[in-house]
Amino acid sequence: MSKQLENKSWVERVLKHYITRTVAKKFLILWVVVTLSFLIVRALPGNPVDIMVINLMDSQNLSEDEARTRAASLLRLDLNAPLHEQYFDFLGNLVRGDLGESYVLARGKSVTEIVFQRLPWTLFSVGVSLLISFTLGMFLGMLAAYKRNSLLDQVLTNFSAMIGAVPNTLWAIILVLLLGVVWKVVPLNLMRGSLSPGIKPGFTLEFVVDLFKHWAVPGLVYVLTTLGGWMLAMRSNTVSVLGDDYVTVARARGLPDFRIITAYVGRNASLPSVTALAISIGFLLGGSTVIEFIFVYQGVGLLMSQAITKRDYPVMQGILLVTTITVIISTAIADLLYGWLDPRIRIQGNEE
Amino acid sequence: MSIPSQNHPSTLSIRNLTIEYQVKRGAVQAVRNLNLEIRYGESLALIGESGSGKTTIGMGMMRLLPSTARIATGEMIFRRFDKAGQATGVEFDVMKLNERELRLFRWKDGAMVFQAALNAFNPVLKIRDQFGDTARAHGYLQGEALRKRAYELFGLVRLDPERVWNSYPHELSGGMRQRVLIALGLLLDPPMLILDEPTTALDILTQRNIMDVLKDLRGKLNFSLVFISHDLSLAAELADRIATVYAGRIVELGNVYDTFQNPQHPYTIGLMSAVPTLTTHRDHVSSIPGSPPDLIDMPSGCKFHPRCPLAVEQCKREEPPLIPTTDDEHLAACWRWMDAKQKLMPNPK
Repeated sequence: MSKQLENKSWVERVLKHYITRTVAKKFLILWVVVTLSFLIVRALPGNPVDIMVINLMDSQNLSEDEARTRAASLLRLDLNAPLHEQYFDFLGNLVRGDLGESYVLARGKSVTEIVFQRLPWTLFSVGVSLLISFTLGMFLGMLAAYKRNSLLDQVLTNFSAMIGAVPNTLWAIILVLLLGVVWKVVPLNLMRGSLSPGIKPGFTLEFVVDLFKHWAVPGLVYVLTTLGGWMLAMRSNTVSVLGDDYVTVARARGLPDFRIITAYVGRNASLPSVTALAISIGFLLGGSTVIEFIFVYQGVGLLMSQAITKRDYPVMQGILLVTTITVIISTAIADLLYGWLDPRIRIQGNEE
Repeated sequence: MSIPSQNHPSTLSIRNLTIEYQVKRGAVQAVRNLNLEIRYGESLALIGESGSGKTTIGMGMMRLLPSTARIATGEMIFRRFDKAGQATGVEFDVMKLNERELRLFRWKDGAMVFQAALNAFNPVLKIRDQFGDTARAHGYLQGEALRKRAYELFGLVRLDPERVWNSYPHELSGGMRQRVLIALGLLLDPPMLILDEPTTALDILTQRNIMDVLKDLRGKLNFSLVFISHDLSLAAELADRIATVYAGRIVELGNVYDTFQNPQHPYTIGLMSAVPTLTTHRDHVSSIPGSPPDLIDMPSGCKFHPRCPLAVEQCKREEPPLIPTTDDEHLAACWRWMDAKQKLMPNPK
């Protein structure tokens, strides 16, 4: 055995080493995403200058030539450098941890600063919603599976399919309309922005209460759009686990129902959803662009929609990069969690 | 261990047990008016073809039937005995237990080793935790005492205790898992152990090993064994008495020697001629013509008559009762049992 190992070249050994391989894979993904986002962002019709020219012509009734000189003096951008030069410039800065400076939105401010100022808001609103939706979905899914073919199951299943079929934008509009305008249960100012004016972030009760008040409606949109999926997946997983022999044997062993439901049925049935949870974080971050725009919620989603309308290339690239990193990290956490939950897929090399 | 006398009170008395399955076409009677005594300390084999209702009987004894099944009639009187085998006077009808009592009855009074032992363990829990779960559910030993007890049982079923105790189920082979399940079945010292096809799906050497383990256990411990199988040779080796099941009823019941030497029911005779042996010529190995009856649309009279070479008019009209034949301990449900052996056994010895 040891002789075999010695005979292998170090390249081979590095390639076969699980953690090295995983980290290398993640960096490859990161590079692909960064490159694609660099190219796609620039492939959008119109560059920052063009967009500003149109805006100036519209808002200040300038002629095209006047607007163009004004925009050029305002932005001071050189977009005429060859694409590959721009790309290697960007990549070089990125390696040094520099995401560049915003072109338009907050001219001269570093993208890192802008993005990290907004990121906690999105992570909070999306994370809390996801946690609620996931937990509730697991619970309702198991309930439906245990009571399968009953009226309750029919109601839950159809309800899930229905709420899952409505797009998140439509949910946002419906909720604003119903809760804010028709029933007037939620004051409209709680559906704009992420904090009431005058409240400073900090560990005060006032802040936390206000935070959750502003989170409530956009959070509800996230929950409504994802809940059905979790529930239906959990229902079908539970039904299949309930048919497994070890559940019958557990009943034969006289185990209390609670133990069977949690450690035998629940744990096995929720395994597939753990991976899905990591993937859904990426989806929700993407989905937040539209939702935060509707609710003027001060997160990266809103920043993204602003950056797109102004063609602020560095900000767009920065957000795409941060989103990718978030997804990569959450997938890695899901992998670890999965290994901890399911001993069958633990890496053999790590044991003994 | 000696074969217990028929005068000793039984561990479990099953009376008029009828189990129905609800299916689209109607209700299927998988077990019909079954009467059976599981005697104290005996080993009883239930044999029959697939679909004869053997497994349903076993599951019914634990009241572990799927939700589509319903126990239509019947009672199952369970009796407890002290260590010396004397009746303690505690007896109850398993059918009348409530959910909680039933939970405590399972595994403590009657444990069941399942056909599919490969999947009998929760894949995400270690064997030690699954022993712990079972023990905790019944207020049994915990911690170090439980580990000692489990090691003792692993020794009995010829497993390496150190290795098994800390393993996950997927780290053990099929034969090992089957033996772990047997050890788990014996954890609470149950007076009755039901084995449903314990060796099916295992290779022949592992089967041999499990059989040796079971025989060994029978010699060392005192419990009633109900052994569900379609394998006659295993039944012959392990059982004191053999019950042949056909279409949800017992058609022949007798001690193992009588049943093999002197079978009375044409179906039992058919089963035995279907087993090849080293000494019979292969032309004498025959299968039973036809197939088990459709349980929804069962034939009239004796359910075996469409496949029976001896069927006469009476067989089509009336279902024969299970009555004593050559002696009180050897019962058969056949109108023509007196002719059966002579006409059907190829070379009577």
